[in-house]
Amino acid sequence: MLMQLTISGISQGAIYALIALSLTVVYRSTTIVNFGHGDFVMAGAFLSYVLVVLLGVAFIPAAMLAVVAMFLLGLAFSRGLIRPIRGGPHIGFALMCISAGYVFRGIARIVWGREVLPMPRVFEIEPIFIGDLIITGDAVFIISITAIMLVVFFGVLALTDIGKMVQAVYQSARGAQLIGINVDRFNDFTWGIGAALGAIGGILIAPISLLHPDLGASFLIKGFAAMTLGGFGSLYGAVLGALILGLSEQYAGAYINSALIDITAYLVIVLVLFLRPHGLFGRKTVVKV
Amino acid sequence: MKTSLRMIAALIMAGLPVTAQEVPGVTDDSISIGVMGPFSGNASSYSKAQVGMMAYYDKVNAEGGVHGRKLVAIPEDTACDPSKGLAAAKKLIYQDKVFMLHGNSCSGVAVALRPMIEEAGLPWLVAHAVSDSITLPLARNIFHGLPTGSANGRAMAQFVLSKPDTTRVAIIEHSNDWAHSYSNPAREYLAENGVTPVAELTMERGQTDATAQVLKLREEKPDFIIAAIYEAETAIFLRDLDKYGMGDIPVMGTAGTDLENTLKRVGDFEAVKNYYVIHSYVDNLDGPKLQPVRDILAEYAPDEELSTFSFVSIGSAKALVAALEAAGPDLTREKLISAMESIENFETGVLSEPITWSATDHQGVKGSAVAGFVDGKPTVLRAWNTPY
Amino acid sequence: MMPTASQLRLRTILFWAVPLLLLALPLSTNSYVQFIANSIVIFSLVALGFNFVIGNLGQLAFANTALFGLGAYGSAILVNTFGLPWILSIPLAGLAGAAGGFLASAAALRGIRLYYLAIITLAFGELMRWLYVHGKSVTGGTDGMGVPAQSIFGVSLTDDHAKFYVFLVVAVLLFKSTLNLLRSRIGRSVMAVRENEVATASLGIPTARIIVFAFMWSGFVVGCAGALFALHTSYVFPESFGMLHLIVSFAMVLVGGLGSVIGSVLGAAALTILPEYLRSFPGMEELFFGLIVIAVLLALPDGLASLLRKLSPIFVERYYRE
Repeated sequence: MLMQLTISGISQGAIYALIALSLTVVYRSTTIVNFGHGDFVMAGAFLSYVLVVLLGVAFIPAAMLAVVAMFLLGLAFSRGLIRPIRGGPHIGFALMCISAGYVFRGIARIVWGREVLPMPRVFEIEPIFIGDLIITGDAVFIISITAIMLVVFFGVLALTDIGKMVQAVYQSARGAQLIGINVDRFNDFTWGIGAALGAIGGILIAPISLLHPDLGASFLIKGFAAMTLGGFGSLYGAVLGALILGLSEQYAGAYINSALIDITAYLVIVLVLFLRPHGLFGRKTVVKV
Repeated sequence: MKTSLRMIAALIMAGLPVTAQEVPGVTDDSISIGVMGPFSGNASSYSKAQVGMMAYYDKVNAEGGVHGRKLVAIPEDTACDPSKGLAAAKKLIYQDKVFMLHGNSCSGVAVALRPMIEEAGLPWLVAHAVSDSITLPLARNIFHGLPTGSANGRAMAQFVLSKPDTTRVAIIEHSNDWAHSYSNPAREYLAENGVTPVAELTMERGQTDATAQVLKLREEKPDFIIAAIYEAETAIFLRDLDKYGMGDIPVMGTAGTDLENTLKRVGDFEAVKNYYVIHSYVDNLDGPKLQPVRDILAEYAPDEELSTFSFVSIGSAKALVAALEAAGPDLTREKLISAMESIENFETGVLSEPITWSATDHQGVKGSAVAGFVDGKPTVLRAWNTPY
Repeated sequence: MMPTASQLRLRTILFWAVPLLLLALPLSTNSYVQFIANSIVIFSLVALGFNFVIGNLGQLAFANTALFGLGAYGSAILVNTFGLPWILSIPLAGLAGAAGGFLASAAALRGIRLYYLAIITLAFGELMRWLYVHGKSVTGGTDGMGVPAQSIFGVSLTDDHAKFYVFLVVAVLLFKSTLNLLRSRIGRSVMAVRENEVATASLGIPTARIIVFAFMWSGFVVGCAGALFALHTSYVFPESFGMLHLIVSFAMVLVGGLGSVIGSVLGAAALTILPEYLRSFPGMEELFFGLIVIAVLLALPDGLASLLRKLSPIFVERYYRE
């Protein structure tokens, strides 16, 4: 049973990793935590549903289109709704993000009415049997896609010019500005990336869970817990934290009590912030006066 | 002088018959009925019940109404939230001044509304919410027009035990009032028959994975699983059961899902073939006996995609109309309540059992049928392998 | 523009005159409208308490909903299990909220700030809700807890109109106390901590104690509001104290005006009345809510209170003399 739970935990954790990563990408450059990110994830899933089911586009092109659309949406959001309120209270960003999420949710609810929609099975991947162990087609799909995405992401970050630019802004926004990087436009860009990554997460989860406008709410907290565990602002930490969270939920649910699955994320948050606030890889951001 | 004038006026007023204008919500040509339901929010698919009954009102109105009065439905959204439901109920009762209330899908909201509505005294016919505590202990003005949680829970356990050689029963449920209203009566029935569940698991709303629960079940090897979980979670659970090779274990679901929708959601017949649900109707949703209802829904709610919820409230709507007829043209709330309490063995043509109300029992429907896949088709069953 | 002395006197008169006028409100409303009015009073207090921490103290602590729930459940348990008259449970519920605030402040004291604090207090709130659900023997679990009919000095409190009077008195008391606090030395220290914690500490002000105090006062106000809520709905459910409530109270504070006492009332009124008007558009509420909040954030970053301030200097809230 342990191995089975581990596979399931990694599969869940992979989704959380995409969400935590997308949250971190935005946080690192803008110091804003997107409290409405769950709904961005949901929006990505719904866009792909519309393309696949209502417009008959094949899955892979539909998924790519949805990701691009969400990228543009993130860009527009940053440009149109975040930049204008930069002078206001920092807390205003949180509410702006939540409100944007509500708008997405509201549109989804109106357009899709009161139905809960099934996303058709995309690939029929046969499960792999290793002895007593079953690796389901879903798990194979999710883990492999996520792994590829992560490799591409970190590869671009470390090896390409654009990646170096991103690292520059992450390390010092002011320094980046000094050498001529347009930080404002860069921030728009990172919002786009964040939205796009979130959309990938949504598209991966859509065939498994069912599509309904409130899909995003639970994922937001998992993303936060993963970020907290890994250390706020650390990209690697977000991924690692997400995997650990996915595993913990499965283990706690099976070995202790299935009622715990729901609150494992919250317990993780509270414990980590009390015992080691900067998580596994975060920078020390404790303010002591 | 003034005092005697007042006395004369009082005597005259006392002698006049009660005019329709004095009864809230009733005019010469209309009866206003407050219809509460979760038209928005994450339970909004349940509001199909309210849409269904309002379609039935439209049909009755097209045929002339009741004693020349049209049934005017005033829908209000509860969003399945007790505070919002409270505001909705107060608006209907104190601002819109409706004659009565008919509707409600969310048990949580209905239970919260009960004290206030009981105090207000107007008739309230619950059309979809199943919790027993809405009508127990007895409240003069509150009625249940469908099988309650205890009726359904017992029917579930009864079906489970009707399968030969069933001794190991597992239960998986949400940790909310709705789930308990099914699972607790089921547990009672099992206990009465000497069966204790071998596993009791929780699956929360919104969980997208049931691996932990399924693996635990794999260890316990139950003969039958009782699942008190909502539609979305049911699909996930059934799929996970199948994934881990346990698709042969039969699963007993509630009235919160139906076979056709579940199959559509899971997308794989192999995972759903051993799934059973509470099916409180005389026939399959697409069977011949329910054709008249489908016709009504097609005519008066043409854009609505039908599910089991669309049918569940029609039974109570029919009984209500019968009671309104019986109460006569001089309609008052008291008269309606008396007329409802006189309804006995009323065949609705929709529900699998007739409706009976009395002065001591306002839970109108005591039993429920079950539906399962027989030869690939949803079929109404009385017991294991026994069609209706 | 600062208010003149005579404007300040007018302000004091207004502060007492408005509630006095409101005493007549129940005479002209039906139970539905009164119910909404009662909701506004209660949520003004919720916003007031929340504002104290995120506006006046400037800490991003989202424990507000948890404290509200503590007060509501505290009151319900005291009334049901211990038979205490509801009216006496109000200050005790406030104390429960204050205790919760103390717990929440522990995170802030450990140096946790900004988004970390937001998330940990959010998690705290959800854990509390899990406790309400699973603590069935004490809290009634998901079935909730009913609050039986109450009366004071023989006057029945089952009617929304009667409840209004009690709610109004409690609200006026708490608002006045909060205003007094803000004008006092403690209040100024609170706001000083918001402006610059290190500088304030360098002046010899015990910032840790100030932070704890602010959290506890916020908890007290919100806890009392919770007790009022328990009677208002006559039923306490775990779902009432979840993320949705947090988001709405957060929106109330920002729409009304961060750090503004009168903003708390304006925000609560706006966001309580709005959903009722949106009843005609079921399913569109989330969309409208999101759009309206976005509009307010873009057009009025300092909230509705800033509109009032433009109207007259009476509404300027400065707590020190220049």
